[in-house]
Amino acid sequence: MLKGKTSLDVTKVENFIFDMSKCIKCKGCTWVDHIYMPGVRFSTRCPSATRYLFDSYGAYGKMRIGVALIEGRLDYTDELLRILYACTLCGACDVGCKRNLDLEIELALEALRIKAVKDGKGPMPQHRKIAQNILTKHNRFGSPHQDRTKWLPKGIKPSPKAEVLYFVGCSASYTNPEIAQATVKILGASGTPFMLMPDEWCCGNMLYSVGMIDEARKLAQRNIDAVRQSGAKTLLLSCAEGYRMWKVDYPKLLNIATADLGFKVVHLTEYVDELIKKGALKLTKRVDLRLTYHDSCSLSRLSDPWVPWEGERGIWGTVSPKLERRRGANGVYQPPRDILKAIPGVELVEMIRMRENAFCCGAGRGTLEAFPDFALWAAGQRLVEVKEVGAEAIVSACPWCKDNLKRAVSQNGENLKVLDISEVILASIKV
Amino acid sequence: MAIIEEAYKVLESIVGAEYISADPVICEGYRPGPGGYECGLGYERVMTKVPACVIMPRTTEEVQKIVKVCNRYKVPYVPYSTGWYGPRSHCHVANELLIDLKRMTDFEIDEKHLYAVVGSGIIYSQLQEEAMKRGMYIVVGGGGSQVSAIANMLGDGWSPLSYRIGLPHRRILGTELILPDGELVQLGSLALQDGPFWGEGLGPDLRGLLRGFTGHRGFLGIVTKMAIKLLPFQPERLEPSGISPHTTLQLPEKRVKWINFSMPSKDSMKQAMYEMAKAEIGAGVTKVPLFWRAIAKAECKEEFWELWSKENEETIKNFHILRVLLIGFASEEQLEYEERVLTDIITELGGEARRTRPSDESWFKNADSAGMWLMCGSYVSVDYVIETLTHAIPHGENYAELKKKFTPPLMPDYGDPGWFQSFELGHQGYSEFLVYWDPDENTDKVDQFYVETSKENIRKRFYTSLLGSHQPLYLTGPAYGPNYHKWLLAVKNEFDPNFLCHPPVPLNHDTFVERAPWMKAMKDWESPVKP
Amino acid sequence: MSIKQELLKIVGPEHFSDAPKVLDTYSKDFSLAPPGVPNYVVKPKDVQEVQKVIKLANERLIPVVPVSSGVHFHGATIPRQGGIALDLGGMNQILEVDDFNRRVRVEVGVTWEQLTSELAKKGYRIMMPLLPHPLRSVVTDHLEREVITNTVYDYGEPLQGMEVVWPTGEIFRTGSASVAGYPDSPSKGANPSGPGLDFYRFLQGAQGTMGVVTWANLKIEYLPKMDRVLFAPVGDLNYAIDFLYRVLRLRIIQECLLLNNIDLAAITARDLPADFERLRASLPPWTLILVISGMHRRPEEQLHYQEETLRMVIKNEFPEISLGASLPGFPGLGKKLLPLLRQPWPKKESYWKNRYKGACQSLFFFTKPVLAPRFIERVKEVAAKFDYPQADIGGYLQPIEHNRACHLEFNFFYDPANSSEVERVRRLYRGIAPVLLEEGAFFTRPYGELAKLVYDRAGGYTAILRRVKKLFDPNNIMNPGNLCF
Repeated sequence: MLKGKTSLDVTKVENFIFDMSKCIKCKGCTWVDHIYMPGVRFSTRCPSATRYLFDSYGAYGKMRIGVALIEGRLDYTDELLRILYACTLCGACDVGCKRNLDLEIELALEALRIKAVKDGKGPMPQHRKIAQNILTKHNRFGSPHQDRTKWLPKGIKPSPKAEVLYFVGCSASYTNPEIAQATVKILGASGTPFMLMPDEWCCGNMLYSVGMIDEARKLAQRNIDAVRQSGAKTLLLSCAEGYRMWKVDYPKLLNIATADLGFKVVHLTEYVDELIKKGALKLTKRVDLRLTYHDSCSLSRLSDPWVPWEGERGIWGTVSPKLERRRGANGVYQPPRDILKAIPGVELVEMIRMRENAFCCGAGRGTLEAFPDFALWAAGQRLVEVKEVGAEAIVSACPWCKDNLKRAVSQNGENLKVLDISEVILASIKV
Repeated sequence: MAIIEEAYKVLESIVGAEYISADPVICEGYRPGPGGYECGLGYERVMTKVPACVIMPRTTEEVQKIVKVCNRYKVPYVPYSTGWYGPRSHCHVANELLIDLKRMTDFEIDEKHLYAVVGSGIIYSQLQEEAMKRGMYIVVGGGGSQVSAIANMLGDGWSPLSYRIGLPHRRILGTELILPDGELVQLGSLALQDGPFWGEGLGPDLRGLLRGFTGHRGFLGIVTKMAIKLLPFQPERLEPSGISPHTTLQLPEKRVKWINFSMPSKDSMKQAMYEMAKAEIGAGVTKVPLFWRAIAKAECKEEFWELWSKENEETIKNFHILRVLLIGFASEEQLEYEERVLTDIITELGGEARRTRPSDESWFKNADSAGMWLMCGSYVSVDYVIETLTHAIPHGENYAELKKKFTPPLMPDYGDPGWFQSFELGHQGYSEFLVYWDPDENTDKVDQFYVETSKENIRKRFYTSLLGSHQPLYLTGPAYGPNYHKWLLAVKNEFDPNFLCHPPVPLNHDTFVERAPWMKAMKDWESPVKP
Repeated sequence: MSIKQELLKIVGPEHFSDAPKVLDTYSKDFSLAPPGVPNYVVKPKDVQEVQKVIKLANERLIPVVPVSSGVHFHGATIPRQGGIALDLGGMNQILEVDDFNRRVRVEVGVTWEQLTSELAKKGYRIMMPLLPHPLRSVVTDHLEREVITNTVYDYGEPLQGMEVVWPTGEIFRTGSASVAGYPDSPSKGANPSGPGLDFYRFLQGAQGTMGVVTWANLKIEYLPKMDRVLFAPVGDLNYAIDFLYRVLRLRIIQECLLLNNIDLAAITARDLPADFERLRASLPPWTLILVISGMHRRPEEQLHYQEETLRMVIKNEFPEISLGASLPGFPGLGKKLLPLLRQPWPKKESYWKNRYKGACQSLFFFTKPVLAPRFIERVKEVAAKFDYPQADIGGYLQPIEHNRACHLEFNFFYDPANSSEVERVRRLYRGIAPVLLEEGAFFTRPYGELAKLVYDRAGGYTAILRRVKKLFDPNNIMNPGNLCF
């Protein structure tokens, strides 16, 4: 559908044929923004294109493959599915393209996965297993649902009613309790009462990310209803993937705007930054660490709020009504940095690829599960950068990043600390 | 579609199984597609094909072996570094091998002697940053910072930064060229030694094989390594700043400065360029077309059209913005001196400085060509010529008149005569015309416009980029030289007797005109080419 | 008809000769190349006559050797297989001076003397090598890539679009001069490149083997309003070269060169032998000469910032460089040298390379400037083995374009009437070239005996070059036996 009615509805891949067919192969989707290009090393930000090299693995190749699939010139094969799914949907391509153009690359990639599932060909077998876990046990690990709140430390009691609802997420609940524990201690130290979900279920990030849209939508509705019922004004998350899911993909699934959720979706870093600036939280304990900060994709490039849109495309490809495109310009880039700089003893050194140019850790959106080698490789690439800038530790704001980077560290036998920002903040609070 | 099995096995043994594929899904990723330079036009639909096989070599030796295998088994092939040039850098025949050179990323820099040695996979923004870190800079070709430096040095290779150096050809130093028959020839000082520091021949200079005014688009072999001249810069850093899409280089204003001037007329801009050249000041000077300003302001098509629809023939006629780059190569005092001289010149000519941002997002590192597709989803520079300023201006005016006959489908530009600038401190002038159309409408007339431009240049005795493989060879050949096509084809036949290297280039446009029904009527010249 | 009759028909009797005395003048030059006599000499007056001569040569398979200058130093125009000496000296019109585009179009017979004086009348100059012979063809010297003394322009090559007659006899215009009807066209011939291929590259350095250029467009520059010639005595050449690496990037220096005491003495001596000997003995081992200039606007201010920049660099980084308006002990040198740098050698004087002993064999190549001192020492060592006195070796280092490379030239002076001196220089030249080649000297213009040495070593390049040559000269009639042909 090149002219006529169109929308940003990812359930109809035809909405994105225009975008896919207008890819100019500039590879802005792959290269670091040329203004920031650091030289011959660390020059790309697309893990798929960098790892697999064939054009087909970059967004510019995927756009062409997408068009061929839709036009019936290609059929699903293992290789095609691999190309669609060996990708963290990190948004580097989307932001890179939109530096100069106005094509919806990320949405096209999401729409292709949704199509693959609809056509009965996707997702990858490993994803199906995890989908099962989510649908039956409400967490991606398949662990007992009743163990979900075991992370809660003694002495910390969530309020029955509070303005802030802390959505913990599967990782912090089961495999990274240190993040949830640090988060609630930080809230405590700032005198912020918080609720938990009466019955917290997985946010469904995996389901949406691999294209299982119907299941994801049901889960989204259920979760949103639960938060609305709780009366919470602010939904707080310490997981970047969950943050994106709630802030961007839930509204997308329900065809509403982020602003219409009925509550604000806030990441811990945004919240803590505000607390510090208000004087409600003081970071006074020294943390002597030379560290670098990794911008988790879902907190940065992918986190501009969602506004649904539909309209017409006419001459010259212009659309009406006017569409404010999401270009990653409003990602949560500065707050985590302000927090780290406020901690006495911390020496923050930036990696060469930062902010919207960050190189994805490799774990997100189904990649880790279906392509663990690729995920490990991507994390390894990031660690090269950490060493390049001489940091002792890498800090991120997402358990997925933390875990995957940690895996890479132990695989490579490195002497690097991998931390979540909640841990660093906590270490600086005099309790 | 398939590469001969024996050939495939040998090719696989050269690069390893990981770096070759005949999988149709992989190959589909190498379709030019309807988006991109010249894309969405008839040429792309009629002339291009998806490769039968893609191979990714790493070294000159691997490339040479691949080419020899192709000659052995008569496999047509095309060299490909980024594929940015659109359909003409992609496969054109069935069962063709696409040699993707992106793994050739060797890089060295000799700071003392002002050159870098690059492989085909190195792009301009990488090279520019490496140069700038060391107090040097390069001219990033108008093709953009995303293009392979080698490919651009072979094909086009200029921008407003060419003001002091002019032709890109003289920036080519020692080079490795694999001829279509697989012979490796080392050009420049590489012919006699390991260091590529100098480019001239031993006697006659075989760099003549690398390009004509514009490039071959890969029909006369593959360059795998090239030493490229770097230019002395100034020592202050150009700091990147901002978040996408508003990223920009902050200029150290005492050493690097852009200034925009409003000038009273087109002639006064030409005079300003002349006077600047005479005074030997400046590091770049160009007339700014009005629509660049709209592109720079717009974040999306809709914004562009909102701005553009406010313009008309009058506003175009009266828009005379001159953009000048000053660089204090030697010192801050130098820049101050040049600014005083520039002010003298502009004042004499009745111009006025405008507020100009102390930043660059268009020429040093970003080389903003990707933005050209913003308005319509399509774009091409139909003609772009290095000649003199006295050629550039009538060329532009003539071209604007011709363009009117093809508008629509070309985007209305209210008679904009393109942009022009000064090169080689005034010894040369440059004119370029960018055209846009809606690629989802009927584009036959755009294809015809291209050939008509060629014919107009011949009629009016303009020089042109539309030579060699860029337009029908048998149309332009007899008109320039005369008969340059005879010599070009003689060289091609000598080194590629089997016509395996990027067939049917340089006869691609001749073939297109025969094949495309809407082009047949344009053919009023003799040629032996069959469809 | 005999060849002679055909030639008489083409050029007319007053422009034809086969008189032995005349033929003899084309059989040798100032180089050590062995003599080679042409069978005929013709002086065409226009390109049509050139074409006819070449077509005849193809029909009769007889060589053609283009000769454009009255004076030759490298043996390039000595026929090796007889044939027709095509003397283009009569095609010596300055065809156009294009003020706006700073371009001049000249026939191939136009000499340095002719062109520089004509340009000077209008306030122009043309980039020049060091002290070209006044009677040499400007076009040919630039075709041969004689290295210019000016280091400031990034666009160093003066050559633009040209007209050539290919060895097949076909006319062709290169670059933007290729448009139909040129020069009656908006295209002025300012772009040397194309059409289709960079044909001009095949003609450069070709020593007349790839075709006959009949006219060329060349870039011209303005004469500065003000100049300062500066000198520095150089004892430590490495230090001086480091200084050049630093300052030549600043784009403030026009002409810049280093001459050793012998070469500088040969150039500036009032008389020989007395003044020459005095200078040779008292000049510093090397002298750095550089020129800064104020162009057309605010020239004093331009000079000021250039001087200030140099002063600061010297003060902070190169305190041993003693740069001044004169060379201590040699008053008036600046006044003498500036005109020498902007004009050809004066016609009334014996050519500077021949002043000392009557002849000179130059050996030159390109290298990285940092390697020059090592090459200089090597040359001295090898020269000693051939009993060539060190005190007689002329040295000239010409930095190129911001000092990214340099032309390094050694001048071996000898008395051409003294057969043992001739023999000594010949043996020296033969002996030294392979040593330097082995050590990385880049002989981009392999004249005379260097050709075989260089082309044998560059086997790959040579093979391709021969294939290209064959396309343009299928009958191998254009100056055969030269280069690798």
